[in-house]
Amino acid sequence: MPSNTIVERVVADLQKYPPFDELAPDILQELAESVSLTYHEEGEILFRKGDTLKKHAFMVMKGAVRLFDNVDGKEVLVDLCDEGDIFGVRAIFAHQDYVLTAQVAEESLLFELPVDKIRHLLETNPRVSLFFAGAFAKSVEEIEHTLTEAFGIGQHLYREQSCNSFLQNETLEVKPVTDVITCSPDITIREAARIMSERNIGSIIIVSPQKHPLGIITDTDLTKKVVSRPGSIKEEPVSSIMSSPVYTISGGKTIADMVMLMVKTKLRHFCMTEDGSPDSAVTGIISEHDIITSEGNNPAVIMKAIMQASDRDQLKEQRDITENLLQVYMEQEVAVHFISNIVTEINDAIITRAIDFSLKELEREMEFVRPDVDFCWLSLGSEGRKEQLLRTDQDNAILYAEPAAGDKEEVHEYFLALGGKVTGILQHCGFVACPADVMASNPMWCQPLSVWKSYFSRWIVTPEPKAVMHSTIFFDFRPVFGQAKLAAELKQEIFNLIAKNRGFLGFFAKNALQNPPPLGFFRNFLVEKSRDHANEFDIKARAMMPLSDAARVLAYEQKIPEYFSTVERFKRLQVLVPGMKELGAEAAAGYEFLMRLRAVNGLVNVSSGRYIKPETLNKIERQNLRNVFSTIEKVQKALNLRFQLDYIRD
Amino acid sequence: MISFFAKSIALRRCRHGELPASICDYVNGFAGPSHFDLSLEKVRFVVFDTETTGFDCGKDLVISIGAIALDGLQINVEDSFEVLVRRESVGDCEAVTTHGLLLRDLHEGSDENDAVTGFLQYIRNSVLVAQHADFDVAMINRILKQRYRIELFNQVIDTASLAKRLEKGPYYNLAHKGGEYRLDVLLERYNIRLYDRHTAAGDAFLTAQLFQMLLMKARHAGIKTLREMLLK
Repeated sequence: MPSNTIVERVVADLQKYPPFDELAPDILQELAESVSLTYHEEGEILFRKGDTLKKHAFMVMKGAVRLFDNVDGKEVLVDLCDEGDIFGVRAIFAHQDYVLTAQVAEESLLFELPVDKIRHLLETNPRVSLFFAGAFAKSVEEIEHTLTEAFGIGQHLYREQSCNSFLQNETLEVKPVTDVITCSPDITIREAARIMSERNIGSIIIVSPQKHPLGIITDTDLTKKVVSRPGSIKEEPVSSIMSSPVYTISGGKTIADMVMLMVKTKLRHFCMTEDGSPDSAVTGIISEHDIITSEGNNPAVIMKAIMQASDRDQLKEQRDITENLLQVYMEQEVAVHFISNIVTEINDAIITRAIDFSLKELEREMEFVRPDVDFCWLSLGSEGRKEQLLRTDQDNAILYAEPAAGDKEEVHEYFLALGGKVTGILQHCGFVACPADVMASNPMWCQPLSVWKSYFSRWIVTPEPKAVMHSTIFFDFRPVFGQAKLAAELKQEIFNLIAKNRGFLGFFAKNALQNPPPLGFFRNFLVEKSRDHANEFDIKARAMMPLSDAARVLAYEQKIPEYFSTVERFKRLQVLVPGMKELGAEAAAGYEFLMRLRAVNGLVNVSSGRYIKPETLNKIERQNLRNVFSTIEKVQKALNLRFQLDYIRD
Repeated sequence: MISFFAKSIALRRCRHGELPASICDYVNGFAGPSHFDLSLEKVRFVVFDTETTGFDCGKDLVISIGAIALDGLQINVEDSFEVLVRRESVGDCEAVTTHGLLLRDLHEGSDENDAVTGFLQYIRNSVLVAQHADFDVAMINRILKQRYRIELFNQVIDTASLAKRLEKGPYYNLAHKGGEYRLDVLLERYNIRLYDRHTAAGDAFLTAQLFQMLLMKARHAGIKTLREMLLK
């Protein structure tokens, strides 16, 4: 019997770092008993690239270990592991050799964790398996390329505690959709798309004559594989673009099972068959949507309440409930794009209702007669990009159609009154007034189309750095209420202006480069020096803005007409810009990670979440943040290259 | 030489059935030739510590023993040992404040004989390592002498002396500056994170980490075999 005292000390050491921080005491104890401690001096090689895998993985307890690759005789540093980092985990999964060399960078105390023990943990503990199956299991070389995946893992592990209890307690069964729409592999893509839109479904399963699943087509497949490709691919059979094989499952899966599966496979649709294998008939389908909505936190209830609200207090109430919902979603590791879509829809509904109320009030007050002029309510900035998870400052504007010459004053007065009322209600609902007064209640930002066109013309034709900086918020406008065609016309005008003034994009790009990522991030966080936020890290300015700025520049360069979020922009840019395929995915994943980090930080500290105390981040978050900074650097490099070339051409 | 005779006598007593089998298992481990020429990475070291009712070897009693092995230069948590000894007294106030064990705890401990036999079974013929080893060895020996008229036959390394030897050379006079080689000071100097100290097993674990570093240092100083380590 090993010494209890000693085992407990090892337990205490392991417990400080994921994935061991949430393990049950008895499991941890068993692991601790199997640990060996080794001491190594600087320069020592632990294993070399090409060496046979050892029977244990390593965890740094003190010191640091560098992992490097040899490329053309040169050492390329891939990662530096410090306290709490686990490396050499390749031994757990793979059967080949090490792909990197591990060298002690400074005098180190290492724990050696036997591979068979970890394997046993993987089988019995989903959290541990997620952890190792993710970024850490790959050779670090691969990590860079599979950042998306790493983030998937990171996101899932985000709030460990609640995640854990969620996984353990949640035994509710997910109800599959049983009237599955299927089709044969030889129908055309056009036909499949027609069925999907007619039935209003997001996916269709392709089956054999025996009803065995052969493949699946989702709406994403349609956009990615069909819309973006030239030629008449639509007449080809569905089998040419279907994803195959389909991931099949048996019935009776719990929410926890499905969440795990979703995270593990990165898939969003799972096909249920009679015996769970692809060689039996299809009985149902479970999609991400089913999984999320089966949790009882149905945002539809909130939407309904908003639509039926009769006064501003009820709107506020629903927005407060939304914040709770947000918290639940965060805790349950729901994908950020899903959360932001929901929150955006709710925010938009509140705005719509606020406008309803205001229009009616104006009518009642009789002082104003509603002019017969179309208008469009614009959300700007992060709300315009559908990225507002927490309630932050409101940024909005009114755009209205050109009034008849004689009515100008009157019309302006009317919409200004409308803007005043709506922003007042929004303020009541918890959306703070914009300190820079970029609101529809400001006469400057409540204007007819012609004036808006002249604003953008000024920003684009004669750009000056400061003006560009202040105007970025307007470039993210999105119509929320009213005549969207006004917004579309404005957007088209912007594309025209940019086409005639190529130099502008250079300014725009330069502005996006003014926040370089912090370097030397490894041990020391770059923190703010200002008094108010000393020793805090400004995640918005330092990490999010560089990405959202870059995405905006490229989106306008590529004339993307949709009112996209940063993530959506990157995803579209993947398709549009040569060389952006991987970087775009990385940047999109990185941005989602940052959104989540900020939202959680905001929820915990009841703030906008913008300033983060580095010491509150756990190991995975720090690792992910580190990865994001390397992504930002790459994005900025790409941008720089792209627009420097443009300068030369001009 | 004395230990050689003591060993022979003990072995003879075992052959004549004068010592219990459990003790003889230990004694017989020393029957073969010594393994002085083994290189250090092949030696099993047992790093141990005792907690006592006081600091008088003649009068005070062992109340707990903790140990962990260092084998092939690595510390294996699994290969560790800890025992509490059942006592009627916990010692004077000063000792109690040091080891923190109350009478209540000691009532749950093992009988002294089982404790020491278990310890012998655990250490076998390994090289013993302890901080200020003389004291701990003397405490164990007193029990062995009283009960079986034998003493520990193991080779012993004192971490304080080893640290001094590696840092200052073999002729440095430890008596003048004893304080520099107290466990706390050594641990701090070697950058070993202190846990709650003063349990036998806890201190043995810390001492083992210290010894692990000293071994590395020793190898750099050209000490490759056990013989060189023990200055035999």
